[in-house]
Amino acid sequence: MVAAADDGLSRMRESGIMRWGCDISGAAPFTFPDPANPDRIIGFEVEIAEELARRLGVRAERFSADWLALIDALDADRCDLLINGFEVTADRERVVAFSRPYFRYTQQLVVRAEDRERFASLEDLKGRPIAVLNGSASIDSLRSAGVPASLIIQYDDSLAPFTETVLERVDACLQESLIARFYAGHDPRLALVDATFDPGVYAVIVRKHDEALLASVNGALKTMQADGTLGRILQRWGLWSDAQRDLGTDRGPIVATIPEAIGTPPEDGLPWSLVLWSLARAAAMTALLTVVSMPIATFLGLLLAIAILHGPKPISRLCRGYVLVMRGTPLLVQIFLLYYSLPALGAWLGIPELLTWNKIIVGIVCLAANYAAYEAEIHRAALHAIPRSQWDAACALGFTRWQTLRFIVVPQSWRLSLPAIINDLNSLIKDSSLVSMIGVQELLAVALGIGKASFAVPSMLVAAAAFYLALSLLSDWFGQALERRARAVRSLPEPLHQ
Amino acid sequence: MTTPALEAHGICKRWPRTGAVLTDCSLRVERRTVHALIGASGSGKSTLLRCLGLLEPPDAGSILVDGVLAVDRGIVAADRTIRRSVGMVFQEPSLFAHLSALANVALAPHRVLGLDPEVAQERSRAALERVHALHLADRRPDELSGGERQRVAIARALVMEPTVLLCDEPTSALDPMLTREVMAVLRELALDAGTTMVIVTHDLDFVAAAADSVDFLHAGRIRISGTADLLGTRGLDDELDRFLQRS
Repeated sequence: MVAAADDGLSRMRESGIMRWGCDISGAAPFTFPDPANPDRIIGFEVEIAEELARRLGVRAERFSADWLALIDALDADRCDLLINGFEVTADRERVVAFSRPYFRYTQQLVVRAEDRERFASLEDLKGRPIAVLNGSASIDSLRSAGVPASLIIQYDDSLAPFTETVLERVDACLQESLIARFYAGHDPRLALVDATFDPGVYAVIVRKHDEALLASVNGALKTMQADGTLGRILQRWGLWSDAQRDLGTDRGPIVATIPEAIGTPPEDGLPWSLVLWSLARAAAMTALLTVVSMPIATFLGLLLAIAILHGPKPISRLCRGYVLVMRGTPLLVQIFLLYYSLPALGAWLGIPELLTWNKIIVGIVCLAANYAAYEAEIHRAALHAIPRSQWDAACALGFTRWQTLRFIVVPQSWRLSLPAIINDLNSLIKDSSLVSMIGVQELLAVALGIGKASFAVPSMLVAAAAFYLALSLLSDWFGQALERRARAVRSLPEPLHQ
Repeated sequence: MTTPALEAHGICKRWPRTGAVLTDCSLRVERRTVHALIGASGSGKSTLLRCLGLLEPPDAGSILVDGVLAVDRGIVAADRTIRRSVGMVFQEPSLFAHLSALANVALAPHRVLGLDPEVAQERSRAALERVHALHLADRRPDELSGGERQRVAIARALVMEPTVLLCDEPTSALDPMLTREVMAVLRELALDAGTTMVIVTHDLDFVAAAADSVDFLHAGRIRISGTADLLGTRGLDDELDRFLQRS
């Protein structure tokens, strides 16, 4: 099994599945939720991936993660290849292998409609801030054109540069031509500057050592280009230009552009019933992440606090260190590290099952492990608040230390710590959105994905906020019930054998 | 001669920062007797009692409970059954706030002695009855008065059937009314039920009425030992005179 993992092609053939990586909440027209039915992921790269898999004799299976995390995901063997608008750059070529290119783009400058005459080229924008997508080739283009780094404003989200231009926070944005055409091409507030420059290409990414896979991908792409299949896909998505011929792509028979390829805000508004249904399911994912990880965090935190206060010195120090590290490093970093180091960890420990650990499990483990550190401090304060005299009284009655904790101290400290724990439950609901970075489709990720594809980011954010608020109210209600229960005084000892 | 309920030899204790609190304290408590420790505040009475209650390991000395070595040359025996044979009542009742009065009393018989809940409760009712607090069984600690709380605390100690009951100024936190209520219960336990008791108290009336033997502590030493008649003497010892005068 481990040997096969070294060779992507033979493993792919064995399993019959091509796992291709992309970011579904990234941007149109690459891979994005269909505005008419947010559950369906569409885009020209979805069609390329499916065609590629068909030609390799396997089934395409989409793997999604944040765009900036995709190369790490490939390295960690979470997928076999990446198809998601990866520009061929020298920096990337050092770490991964590129297939033959499947698309040729240019850099497109976008300005406000009223500035069309004033800013007709990059020179006209000298000394003015320009917005770009973080990690995109647009940054290199601006740098080589002599724009100082301080004027290149980077955004993690492909839609933000346009919004910032409209809002006059920047004077222009530079994006790859197909993104610009999709998002700004039909927006009356924005104008595409005619002078395009710095052409580049997109290609499929595979791991550097996967030479056999790369050869097969190249072979399949070549025939797709030659027999007009790729040309047909590009036409359907309104992406065909004569420049594509330079890559050896044949146009194929003329076909019409599909409506989904044209980025316009839906005229009759969002399909709200479908959208809300998608959000409700994403909220269920958020609730699942929270409901499973918080009890684990609370219990683990209690054990940590007890170990810190009452454990032998080495264990106490170790637990103290755990709390310091987990509280002192970003949750996001912990999620990334765990998710992408699991396969290596699994191989090292001889437990290959770790590789197949589901993203949701990884998310839950990270949230629980991180919040346990915070809960430990809450429990520690509450345990401290139980008077020393309670310990004396228990000791005089013959209780052991452990029995005293179990039957006398913890039942009382639990009541004290509960309000603070419920407070943390509330913030966990919102922090759980961080696991979207490894591709878990929770509330915020789904809302943003739909929002970007439908030109409705603000209203989707409001909708997501409403769902978060509802979850938060639920958790408060639950917390109050729990507090009432904890306050109730038990009249009888619990049965001896539970 | 029968084995005394409690014996202490040469107990010494010093705090690292403030210095010696107990120097060479020895005492002997016979069965079914009440032994009072009196002395001014800071004389070391409570520390001595905590040593006897095995809550504070002395630096030196030994303690025998019912003839069994509980503390040997300053080291407390690991055996928990010895600890159980010494019951303790503190200045503050320290009831377990999450449990009802009955459960406060029944927790140790159930969890420490391993009795079935029903048996533990039955015993606990009997213990509450002895301190006239059975009617409080289902109350929460914060629904009880200070005196009621202290009576429940006494029942909680009694239910374990200790060889000796140690009481550390059980009424110091109570007003005179409640003090009388608690002292009446203790007097009844001492005189009618024959409970072996070591009591630290400022209540000299109680000492005069109930104590069989008295130790007067001064500056961490047992200065004078005797019977309750000690309280009536004058001119025996300057410090005792001064203490009796002030009390």
